Amino acid sequence: MKINFQELTQLLQKFKANPYKTYPVVTPHTGYLVEFKVKEGDYVAGPTGEWLEKPGTPLFVLEREKNPKIIRSSHFGTVQNLRMDLLKKFVEAGETVLEIKHPLTQEEIISEILLSSLLVVRAPETARYILSQELVKKLEQKGMGRTKIKEGDELLIMTFMKRETPIYLKEPGEFILYQIYFKPFELVQAGSPLIGLCPIEDLPYLEKIIHRIKEEWSS
Amino acid sequence: MKDKVLIANRGEIALRIMEACEALNLDYVTVYTKEDAESLHVRLSKKKYRISDYRDINDILAVADEEKCTAIHPGYGFLSENYRFARRVVKRERPLIWIGPSWEAIRDLGNKLFMKKEAYKLGIPVIPGTLEPIYNEIEAELKAEELLEEASALGFQNISFLVKAVAGGGGMGIEEVKNLEEIRPVFRKIRAYAKRLFGEEGVIIEIKIPIFQHLEVQILGSKEGEYVHFGTRNCTIQSPYKQKRIELAPGFCKNFSYAFEVEEVENQIIEQSLKLAKHFQYDSVGTFEWLITPEGKFYLMEVNTRIQVENEISAKISFIKGKPVNLIKEQIRVAFGEKLGYTQRDIHFKGMSLEFRLIAEDTKKGFTPLSGIITHFSYKPHSWLTLRTHVPQDSPYTIPTQFDPNLALAIIYGENFEDLIEKSHLFLSELKIEGHTFKNEPLVTNIDFLKENLKKVYQFLPA
Repeated sequence: MKINFQELTQLLQKFKANPYKTYPVVTPHTGYLVEFKVKEGDYVAGPTGEWLEKPGTPLFVLEREKNPKIIRSSHFGTVQNLRMDLLKKFVEAGETVLEIKHPLTQEEIISEILLSSLLVVRAPETARYILSQELVKKLEQKGMGRTKIKEGDELLIMTFMKRETPIYLKEPGEFILYQIYFKPFELVQAGSPLIGLCPIEDLPYLEKIIHRIKEEWSS
Repeated sequence: MKDKVLIANRGEIALRIMEACEALNLDYVTVYTKEDAESLHVRLSKKKYRISDYRDINDILAVADEEKCTAIHPGYGFLSENYRFARRVVKRERPLIWIGPSWEAIRDLGNKLFMKKEAYKLGIPVIPGTLEPIYNEIEAELKAEELLEEASALGFQNISFLVKAVAGGGGMGIEEVKNLEEIRPVFRKIRAYAKRLFGEEGVIIEIKIPIFQHLEVQILGSKEGEYVHFGTRNCTIQSPYKQKRIELAPGFCKNFSYAFEVEEVENQIIEQSLKLAKHFQYDSVGTFEWLITPEGKFYLMEVNTRIQVENEISAKISFIKGKPVNLIKEQIRVAFGEKLGYTQRDIHFKGMSLEFRLIAEDTKKGFTPLSGIITHFSYKPHSWLTLRTHVPQDSPYTIPTQFDPNLALAIIYGENFEDLIEKSHLFLSELKIEGHTFKNEPLVTNIDFLKENLKKVYQFLPA
């Protein structure tokens, strides 16, 4: 385990001082920004429901090739820096239209803090990743937090410059798959976390840490 | 109204299309993705739009409409051989001119199996193999057994097979199998790969031609039914992943001895390529790829229904009524319905040309593509050298990881073979590419590989 309780306290204080994360909302593609569905300061919701089946609050409408598309919020929070100047204009892909100031949840705090206590497998290159078929199968059977992995197992497949390269676990010992930080086929920057693993023998300690975070961060 | 071309591609080909448009006095618009913001094609283009992906058809058409473009040039790769896109471009409510062959020709010739069957019917020699896609492994094994017998009867020895994804190409989705027991596992692997990458799981099996030269014929057809060729190219020097690294024009060279009549074989592959082009009413630039064996047997491999990376070496050695040729310009002209204005008799060939593909790859470690930052890129200009690159020479450049790590094309012209090789060595010795990877290791390029392989040009090489 990399983290001790003193470091944990420091991290928690840092999050308490600024318990927000700002998410820019960008246009997924080109098109006309025909309508805003929110205004500055509005509260918006992210996807909800047991399977996140209820979509987030509509933010704006982007129309391309006669197809209007409602862009919705993927996080809850308040709208800020809304770009009224883009209304009725043809916008390029990847243009920031507004930002969502999102208050961090207990779960997100745990996830952030676990980054510094788990064995994190990071992206070796800026590339697209998927879990290996082997791991997907295991995960389906056992579930997150119960899937065992050992040295030499194929973890991920990296698609980099049109080539597929498998990524294996190089650490000796047995681990539990604890967190997944990426979405399949999404571009991941080099050095960004892909998955988090916990050595089997450290599981009780990890659970203590999580317990401590939950106590301190009740909301 | 003046025509306006949307250039739906990136990098050096976007730059060459820009240049051709300017030469033809056509307006143009370019597109780019956020990873490509530093590319020269973005810097040098006056009107440009950031899109989500070079494969995003709706983004490309939305920009074309916004800019009131009248034509689309797809370049090579990406959407260039996507017949559905080509069809949509010409059949939409606000139709555009497609700078390429008709969508029907792209569909029919791009379907390698269909093309092979049609060629076979026309009496054009094709590589012995299955003429229908295979979907299950039992059938795969049976077909391989049949092929083995057929090839033995044709005089092949030490026969091995190539298991190929029908939808694959450019060295992707292809694997060699040396004995029948391996057919099933390899078949399963290729089928899974094909399904994942191309969404189409059909697989074919072919006899592997063990030693050969890779030649190609450059064809140009017009909407008026005119056909000419711009000779042949030799693309035998490739990476182990079957990607071209050195190309030469013409396809055969007088300085080498052959066990067959070179002129006869060259005329044959040109004639057969033209026969197939006419059969499909091919109306643009196109490349017909052939395998030539040391005995002088020739087999049609595939047809590339687009402008080819290496088109310029053919242009360098061709002269129309004594004037230099630009094949991209010719491609654009015929797409707008112009007549050629010349015939085969007006085309003459003079000298030789070679192209190097300069790539950030570790040729000593399985040709691994590398990403990183280029800090210094320079070469010495010469009248016989044309360098095509999107990499800026005045500022550091980060190689995007979403695309092939191609850095530049160097096109060299020589009066004869000795002259060509001498100049090629000189170019490589004067070239400097420096940089580092994200792990802060020096950035490796394929320059040494290219130097080494200059010794092997115009030879029959094992596959």
